[in-house]
Amino acid sequence: MSYPKRMSKVLIAGHKKHLEAAVDALYEADLLHVEDFVEGDDSDFEIGMPIKYGEEVSRKLVKVRSIASTLSVRSTDETVPLTESDVSKQLDATLEEMDTEIGRNAEELSRLDARVKDIESAEKELVPFLGYDIGLEYYGGYGNLAVFSGTVSSLNESRLLEITDAYQLFTDSGSKFFVLFVSKRFEKDIQSVLADMGYKEMRAPDKSGRPSDIYAGLEAEKSEIQAQIESLIAKRAALNEKYGNFILASDEYLSILSEKAELPLRIATSEHTFVIEGWVPTNNFDEFTEAVSNKTNNGVHITTLKVDMHDEKEIAKIPVAYENSKFVSPMEAVVDLYSRPKYNEIDPSSVLAISFPLIYGMILGDIGYALVLMTLAFLVMKFMKSDAVKQLMYVLIYCQIFALFFGIIYGEFMGFPLAGLLSHGEYIPGLIPGLETIVFDFGIVPGESFMLPIHRTHMIMTFLVATAAFGFLHLNAGFILGFFDLKGQHGIKHAVLEKLSWIVLEIGAIAAIAAWYLGIGVAGIAVGAIIAVIGVGMLAKGEGIKGPIEIPGLLGNMLSYTRIIAVGLSSIYIASTVNDIAFGGLIWTPADGFSVLMFVSILIFILGHSLNTVLSIIAPGLHALRLQYVEFFGKFYASGGKAYKPFGHLKKYILEE
Amino acid sequence: MVELTTEGLAALSKAIAIVGTGIASAWAEKVIGAAAVGAMVENESLFGKALVLTVLPETIVIFGLVVAILI
Repeated sequence: MSYPKRMSKVLIAGHKKHLEAAVDALYEADLLHVEDFVEGDDSDFEIGMPIKYGEEVSRKLVKVRSIASTLSVRSTDETVPLTESDVSKQLDATLEEMDTEIGRNAEELSRLDARVKDIESAEKELVPFLGYDIGLEYYGGYGNLAVFSGTVSSLNESRLLEITDAYQLFTDSGSKFFVLFVSKRFEKDIQSVLADMGYKEMRAPDKSGRPSDIYAGLEAEKSEIQAQIESLIAKRAALNEKYGNFILASDEYLSILSEKAELPLRIATSEHTFVIEGWVPTNNFDEFTEAVSNKTNNGVHITTLKVDMHDEKEIAKIPVAYENSKFVSPMEAVVDLYSRPKYNEIDPSSVLAISFPLIYGMILGDIGYALVLMTLAFLVMKFMKSDAVKQLMYVLIYCQIFALFFGIIYGEFMGFPLAGLLSHGEYIPGLIPGLETIVFDFGIVPGESFMLPIHRTHMIMTFLVATAAFGFLHLNAGFILGFFDLKGQHGIKHAVLEKLSWIVLEIGAIAAIAAWYLGIGVAGIAVGAIIAVIGVGMLAKGEGIKGPIEIPGLLGNMLSYTRIIAVGLSSIYIASTVNDIAFGGLIWTPADGFSVLMFVSILIFILGHSLNTVLSIIAPGLHALRLQYVEFFGKFYASGGKAYKPFGHLKKYILEE
Repeated sequence: MVELTTEGLAALSKAIAIVGTGIASAWAEKVIGAAAVGAMVENESLFGKALVLTVLPETIVIFGLVVAILI
């Protein structure tokens, strides 16, 4: 059980001439969570103005980012961090240089791209004329001849003949394109006849020479330009290589400066002074004070402010940072997925580090799947660099450790039972020859004996009872956590009335049921009932009417834990169905000996189990998560804390000097 | 006329328990899921709460399963 990191409220005040140094020092310290200043009516303070270099920095940042997007710069394995002084010294000159070089490259590229488009449209115009070996200059410029070129839906030559036979017609059997030369005298008549046929004019391009020659010339020019474009793109890649490193570093450098420049917008300033309020982890306070004082030559005054721990509004302002061991910290992501704890409540990560994988393991409980998923998780961890993914893989590995443990207890491997079992006169062989299930002559449910390894499919009723009982324990662990939470926040009285009352109620109910079951008599039942009523009374006093209304919900919560066996069974049945189809005699059995069908069986086995492996992450994972979030957290976890985000920056591309 | 046997009726009851609760869960999850996705488009950090709300009605079908096993 742990609480979030303790925080101290600090106030940093000083003369405005020290502001820039103070901002630098705070940024360097990377510890202060700045609380934004809100301008009030009666306050003499107002929000500050950005530091003056901010404007120039933003301008350069825009330029760097536009260059970065033109070159599509990305971080690679070869990216080497640069020193800050290098970046700041070279920034202006290099920015200029990059701007001209890359600008010229981009300009040239867009010019060539436009030229390629022009050529392509000229070629398109030329295509219909390629079929006729007539120079383009002959398509116009006659004193006595009219030229028609274009398409009609269907060319009816007899209608032309009705007007005149003094014409020359060229048609192309492949396309509907035609060219018609006719005396100018008949131009109007021919035009109206053609219009009836759906004439669409396609004018010859205003060039001279044979169409095929012109076309070949255009093609040659196009391929030449394309070669130029390729060389420009190669040059761009070279530029990317040359400047990529610098662009990443200068982007980071400028982002840092711009963040610093904007800090005054979040703090209070008067005519000559500034005041910054914020939070620093208590453990780092001395280190923080020393660092900031040194950097500012004692130009600022740093002091802690008292926090009223009874004021909920004040507590809600405190940023929350986790403080967990390396083993537990991967679970923080799972808690964050729900919501961060409040500052003054127990951080459930450490409890979750056990109970989430435990429930996952109880649901999955298969040696085969656990080993496959564990291997996968290790592989992903080895090849993925992202920290978030790594944390998730740790969670997956914790889950698989429990799945492996329960797999051994259940004696399951990929849906096959490991040990043989004689059940209702029918013998089910196990995967390991000679290993037999030990069946005891006792059980908690009539008709079902206890056995080892536990065959879940043969002990369903036992499991329904056992999982509900497990739920009962898990929920009470939640009440106990809630008890400690409330004790810390509002005192022992609230804690007893709101949380312990549930346990009193349960003890009473269990006593009454036990008395009835064991036949102790009315007196026993009455004692239990009285205890239960006392519990209800306490609850009603603690939580008001809302408390007793929630009592039936407790039963629902317990029954909800029976999903542990329900989801587990669905996984077993899918697995054993795959096994039955693959090796059960439908296609092939080991008794058939070597044949082609063996490979079909193996393929089905692999595909089926791959599907179930994916389901083995999703189904048990979601259900285990839900039992934590809904049933368990509902008993104690208020949540809603604000994440601790210190003013500072993790430097990736800039070297510390 | 088909004869009604105890086993047959029991099997039918189990089926009704599963079918009814299954449809109920599905319908409830459909409504909540659509709303949850809508909310997540607005604010991605709601994923945890959306997930919890979406799987809440799943309990209905678990109850159905328990009842079916007990019949």
